[in-house]
Order: sequence, then structure tokens, then C-alpha cells
Amino acid sequence: MGVAATSAELANLLEREHELGRLADELTAVEAGSGRLVLLHGEAGVGKTALVRSFCEARASTHRVLIGICDPLFTPRPLGPFFDVASEVGHELEAAVRSADASYDVTAALVRDLRARAPTILVVEDAHWADEATLDVLKLLSRRIDDLPALVIVTHRDDELEVTHPLRHLLGNLVSAPGIRRISVERLSADAVAALAGPHGIDPNELYRKTAGNPFFVTEVLGAPCDELPATVRDAVLARAARLPAGPRALLEAVAIARSDAELWLLEALAPGEVGTLAECLASGMLVPRPEGVGFRHELARLTIEESIPPDRRLALHRAALAALATPAGGAADLARLAHHAEEAGDAEAVLRYAPAAGKRAAEVGSHREAAAQYARAIRFADSLDGQARAELHRRRAAECYLTDQHEDAIESAEAAIACYRELGDRLGEGRSILFLSRIAWCPGRTDEANRAAREAIEILEELPAGRDLADAYANLGTLLRDRDDRQGAIEWATRSRRLADELGEVNIAGGQVISLALAEALYGTPGAMERLQDAAAEVQLVGSPDLTSWGHMATARAAVRARRYGIAQEAIDAGLRHVGEQGYLLWRLYFLSYRTRVELDEGRWSEAVETARLILQERWISTLPRTVAQTVLGLVRARRGDPGVWSALDDAWALAAHTEEPDRIVPVAAARAEAAWLEGRDDDVRKLTEAAYQLALQRGVAGFTGELAVWRRRAGILEPAPASAGPHAAELAGEWARAADAWRELGCLYEAALALGETDDEHTLRTALEELTALGARPAESIVARRLRRHGSVPRGPRAATRENPAGLTRRELEVFTLLARGLRNADIAERLVLSPRTVDHHVGAILRKLGVSTRAQAALAATRLGVLEPER
Amino acid sequence: MNTYVILRRSGWRSPEDLGEAAVRSRQVGDEQMPDDIRWIRSYVLEEGGGSVGTVCIYQATSPEAIRRHASLADLPVDEIVAVLDTVVVRPDPAPVAA
Repeated sequence: MGVAATSAELANLLEREHELGRLADELTAVEAGSGRLVLLHGEAGVGKTALVRSFCEARASTHRVLIGICDPLFTPRPLGPFFDVASEVGHELEAAVRSADASYDVTAALVRDLRARAPTILVVEDAHWADEATLDVLKLLSRRIDDLPALVIVTHRDDELEVTHPLRHLLGNLVSAPGIRRISVERLSADAVAALAGPHGIDPNELYRKTAGNPFFVTEVLGAPCDELPATVRDAVLARAARLPAGPRALLEAVAIARSDAELWLLEALAPGEVGTLAECLASGMLVPRPEGVGFRHELARLTIEESIPPDRRLALHRAALAALATPAGGAADLARLAHHAEEAGDAEAVLRYAPAAGKRAAEVGSHREAAAQYARAIRFADSLDGQARAELHRRRAAECYLTDQHEDAIESAEAAIACYRELGDRLGEGRSILFLSRIAWCPGRTDEANRAAREAIEILEELPAGRDLADAYANLGTLLRDRDDRQGAIEWATRSRRLADELGEVNIAGGQVISLALAEALYGTPGAMERLQDAAAEVQLVGSPDLTSWGHMATARAAVRARRYGIAQEAIDAGLRHVGEQGYLLWRLYFLSYRTRVELDEGRWSEAVETARLILQERWISTLPRTVAQTVLGLVRARRGDPGVWSALDDAWALAAHTEEPDRIVPVAAARAEAAWLEGRDDDVRKLTEAAYQLALQRGVAGFTGELAVWRRRAGILEPAPASAGPHAAELAGEWARAADAWRELGCLYEAALALGETDDEHTLRTALEELTALGARPAESIVARRLRRHGSVPRGPRAATRENPAGLTRRELEVFTLLARGLRNADIAERLVLSPRTVDHHVGAILRKLGVSTRAQAALAATRLGVLEPER
Repeated sequence: MNTYVILRRSGWRSPEDLGEAAVRSRQVGDEQMPDDIRWIRSYVLEEGGGSVGTVCIYQATSPEAIRRHASLADLPVDEIVAVLDTVVVRPDPAPVAA
């Protein structure tokens, strides 16, 4: 073994006892029954791979070790790392990754396999190069990791992940999940570098200064000692390669071109006659054996060598690779690799043969970002194609970009497809593409464009024999008008769509429109409409497609949230989240989460609401509606708690919503901004903040929305007649505060109830309001009510002072509830005894358990004895 | 991460209780939320009658992270204020030996 290889091993494993110890601890935890997913991160060349390999090698005889590697391809092979492990895992996973199955099935197969065996160490290396399907599998796996008998180690670079990098979203998702651990791999210390430099007679300080302790850099320098230390990693690698004779050097270049593990048969084709010099390359330490062939010890080295190859030779190598990979020695051709070499070889015909096929394959397994990139690659070479074929490529790229939220690219491609069809005189293709453009323009909030395109699509499709596309186009316009709260338009176009779909026997479109029609009615509180909607949603679950089932749950949740029927909403949201989870519909999930965060906010469960909002905001999807809701909830909870960061969230929400003309997006943000201004004592700003939204709500006649805004305007001192219909806000606008508070409590809206009580002039009622606001943690509103009490000449006992009187920090009301609870009364009985609504009692009981830090009523009763709060029964 | 000041007035009945809370705070911060929160320093307040409170300086990704940390470590929170800028005139005086 040469000096180079020895120092490589040394450099990679010096000062790693701590990290190896932590990995060993996590494995112990796995063996004790709690699964772990460890994120092992550090900069390029810091030695992540060496660390993991050394850990795994030491356990190869006692544990099953599976290693999958992500390739540094611009368009990686979908599910690459799971291909690597599939052959060792078993038939089910092998079938899942090889067939056109989604990441959900791969995860399911993997989980079943892991469960069926003794603890497994599963390594996914270089996740910064992972395709989306692989990241989806890791995300799904992480959600259940804590009860899997597995130590999953994911290595990734942390120094060059730009903000939009898909891996970032995964990392954000993992923050609070149980069983997730992070281990940071740091550079070598000056002492360690000195120890390595010693035997080579190199100035240790100079070496440390140049390399900053990066183990890869250190190894490269030590592998090619010369008089002057190279200034960059690149120089070090080239100096080392330059010491090789021409034969091995040619082989090195062939391996660099092959990118992923270079198979020996491929190298025969790329460097004929030179494979015999492989031993020399391995001995130099630049190449290492890999499961399928050989590869560079590090991607940094491969990149350097690839860049150093003269252009003519590079072209020749790519051509040779293309030819060899087209007829592989065994198994099926790898389309992603072929497309890559075809483009590098400048072979348009080959690009057009392989890139669209690679795109199709990537789309099938859910790697839509890779699919979009493959279609874009084909489009770059598409000049020679006829219009129909070019239109097809643009259409496919648009669809894939849409699925990955690359909206600008999606719209650009859709427009290119429309232009192609127009040139061809293909009216059906044109109409379909315009319909698609209408759908994708809505997502980023370009609602005007969406509406224009919706009508244009209908005009074109109506010229043709009526078909499925026209029924779709009618439905689309109905949806857009419903979202603008144009009730009549929504019903008219949904009815047309349904009739046509019935005639055509298109059951899924017809079923969707039955739900849409019920939704349009339920949104305006038509009696019985909510029940009809629930029935329609239940019916499609039995007979409809999975999409239709999602739509049924979604429509129910949406109508119930607007009607403040939170029980129905919660049920639809739970069922919806289960369903879309099973189907792997990641974008739909965000919509359900956006309803959930709103319900949690309205029911006073603020911590849960912000947690759900965070889940939405960290997702890679940038569809603006869920994000608008999430920012609104986040800003509102901050405002209500008196926390900082209110306006950054609310201003972002407003920027997303303001231009959409959709009350569902605009009104909640406007109301939130009005409330935040009021809580800050800026009453004068409320008119400006609500004016446009209030006019829109009045014009569209949505009772709940006009009422909500009217209440904020009244609180801010704006004198104007109350709107004709104000939904649940009517009692407040009529000045009937006590009745309003009761109504809010019945709906489950505790904060709104307390605010209503806070508007009364009765001292006792104001004190109740104060207590309830304290229990919610609503500090700014508490101050406002306390000021009002003072104006009435009474001194509010600071709620904090009152709270401090008893040891567990309970409010007076909570103490009353606590006493009865400790005596074994049920919530309903407590409610009756204290003349409170059962919901309010539920809320108090929740607060009591939380403050006592216990999880059951029995534990709370024990705590009562301990704290001595239980007075003897009189 | 942003810097925040957190007021926890009269949070504990005795310095010993506060000591226990500090251990929990550190544990939760370092083990469960290392990417979300960093405890920088605290000033312990004399609140009368033997009870104590704190003014804490933290770095965190959001106010919600501070509240999540407080709830996991069972710490009270009265108020969270975002820090716009830091002006250090003199270093903190050496802590009084307990």
C-alpha cells in the first residue's frame, strides 16, 4: 500500500472518535427499540463517506448494512440509492423501484422489510444530489422512523445548499420529528494536520493555512508532495494526476466522464486497452473500487479531472459512452445517463431519443423536477422536430414544472405549446393548452390571467364537437368564479359542466360538479346545503376516483371552515389528510393543512395553529393560497400574544392575496391586519387596512366576511351603518355583547367570546373577559380590557398577580374548575355547576392539565391534594 | 437566527427552582432544538420574597421557537421582544460567586 492511501485513511479518520461514538450510541438506541434517522452533514471533502464506511465496516458481520448512493448527475437517476439496495432487500422493493410506482410504494416496501428483520443500518450517501422521489421516500420514512428497527444514516453537504434546494425542504420537515438526530462533521484541527504532515516533511502551519483542515485537500497535497504546496484543491488534484503515466491517465479521464460508478465494460469502450492499468490508478489513491466498478475517491477530484480534459477528447469520450451505454452489457439501458452523454456529445438525434423517454420514466416514479429538466433538455435540441412533436414536449414540460411549483417555467412552456398548436391550426390542442394555462396561472395567484384563459378555452372548444375537454373547461370557469364568490356564475358553469359530463358518461367530471354545486350553495349558508355537500362527498368515496374523494373532503372542509362548523371541518380535514397521505398527494396536503391551521386558530389552540402553519411554510410548494393562510395565522397568533414578527408575516400574506379579487384570500388577511393594528392601538390605520376588502365583501355579499370586517371597523371607532347581513358578527354589531359572547362560545371561538365580553360596561363581566384572555395568553387584548376596567374606576388586579396567588399558576376560574374536577365531576357537570358552556370547561381543563404538567384527570386530582388547593367539601 | 429578549418575571419561587429550570432549558435547547434556538445569556432578577425572575437573551429562528422551547422545558414567558441592534459599552460584570 502506498503512502498516499495510508494518509488518506489517516486523514479521513483522525479526530472522529466523537462522531463514531455518537453513531454507536444511536445504534444502541435502535437496538433498544427506538429507530433513528441521523443526518451526517459537513462541507465537501470533510470525510463524511469515510466516517460512515468505517462505522459500517466495523459492524458488517453483526448487522445488515445497506448502502445507497445519490449520483452527481444534473438529472439524477430517479430513486437511485434505492436501486442500489433493492437487490439486497428483496423482491418487493425491487419491484417497486423498477416498476412505475410512486415513492409511497417504495417506502411501504422498505418499511415492511425493515420491520421483518433484526436492526438494519441503511445509509443514503450524498443526499444533496438526491432526486425528489428519493427525498420523498426519506421524508415518508422519517415520519415513522421512531418505531422502525433501523439506523438510517443520511449524509449531505451543508455548505452549498441554496435556499430553493429540495433537500432544504426535507431538512426543514425533520426539525421536530422524533428519532431525528444531527451529527456535524468538522474539519481537522491544526494538531491533526501537523500529525499528518510530519512524516512527509511538510511545513504543518503552511499545510493547515492552505487547506484549512479539509481532510480531502490535505490528502491530495500529501499524495503529490512537491516543493511548493498547491494553493487550491484543484491544483493539488492535477499535480497528483500529472504523476501518472499516459495509460492510467487516459483511464482516469474515462472514469471522470462516466460520472457514476464506472463499469469495467464501459471503461473498455472509453479507454480501449487501458483497463489493465487500473491497478496503478487504484494504487495512486485517486480511484477506489465501487460495487459496480470503480469511481473517484471523491467527487471534487472527478470534477477537476473532467474539467481538465481537452474539448475534442471530451466529445469523443461522450460519443463512445453514448454508443456503449445504448447497448449495455447486461440489463436495461439507463435513460438518464444516455440523455446526459447525448447532450454532452452534441448528438441532437440521440437527445431527442433518450431525454423524453428519461423524462417520462422520471415522471412515472414521481421525480417531476428531473422529468421537467429532461424535457427542457429535449427542447434545447428540438429545432428539427415538427410542430406537433415540439408542442408535445412543451406540454409535458409545462405539466412537470407545474407539479414542482416552477410556475414561471410552467407558464412559459404552456404558452410555447399554445403557439405551436396555433401554428399547426390544431384547435383542440390549442384549447386544451389554454385550459391548462388557466389552471396553472391560478396557483401563483394570477387570477385575472386564469379567468381570461378560462373563457378563451371555452370559446375555442365550443367550436369543436362537445367532448370531455369542454366539460373540463366549463368546470374550470365555474371553479374560478366560485373562488371570486360569484355565486351565480359558479352555479351556472358547474351546471353546464355536469349536464355535458352526464351526456358524455364522464362520471368523474359529473361527480366533481355535484360536489362543486353543493359547495357553491354551502358557502352562502343555504339551508341544508352543508348536509347535501357531506352526502355528496360520502358518495364519491364509494364510487369515485381518488382525486374525487380528495375533492369531496376538501370542499366539505372549506365550507365548514367558512360556516365556523368546526366539528364537521375537523372531521373532513382528518379524513382528507389520511386520504391524501395514502395517495401521496403532497400539494393537496397543504390545502388541508391550511384549513387545519385556521380551525386551530379559531378554537384558541394557538400553539397547534403555528405548528401547522410552520409545516406549510417549510414545504417546497409555493402555491400561494396555503402560504397566505399560514402567514395570516402566524402573524395573528404573534399579534395576539404580543410577540414580535407580526407585520413581516401579515405583509407577506397581503402581498400574495391583494391582487387576486378572491374574498377567501383577501378578507382574512385584511381582518388580521385590522386586528393587529387595533391591538397595537393604531385605530386610525384600520380604515385604510380594510377599505378595499370591505367593499369587495359587500359587493360579493358574503355575510361572514362583511360582518368580520365591520366589527373591526367599529372597534376602531369608524361610525357607519352595519351591513345588512353580518353572520355570527351580527350580535356584536348590534351592541349585544353578552349574547355575542355566548354565541362565540357555542361555536368554540374562545378568543372572540372573550373580546366580546371585553366590550361590555359591566365590571364583573370585564373581569371574566380578563381571565379568559389571560388563560389564552392574549397579552395585548388583556391590556386593552384592563384599561377599560380602569376607566370604569376599578383597579384590575393584574391577572399575573392573581395567577401568582396559587402555586400551579392557575387563574381563578381554572381553580374553580380544578376543584370540581378533583372531586371527580365530569365536564358536563362542571359546566352546569359553574354556568359555563361545556366547550369552555373543556378549554379550562386542557389549560389546567397543561399547567400542572400532567396528562390525565386522575393525575390532576393527585396534584390537587399535593398542592393543597382542594378545600374540604362543605 | 434573530436575537430576542425574553422576560420571565417572578418565574420561580427560589434560586434553586431556577437552577433546575436552567438545566432543563439547556437540555431542551441543545438536544431537541439545536437548529432553532441558542441561549446566549440571562440576568437573574430579584423579585422580592425570595422569588426570582429572569431577563434572557436568546437567538432563535422565530418567536414560536422560543415558546416551543419554553413549553418543552416548562419555563414561563411573559414577553418576547425582538432585538434590533446591540450596543456593548462594557462587558458584563463578572458573575457574583454563589
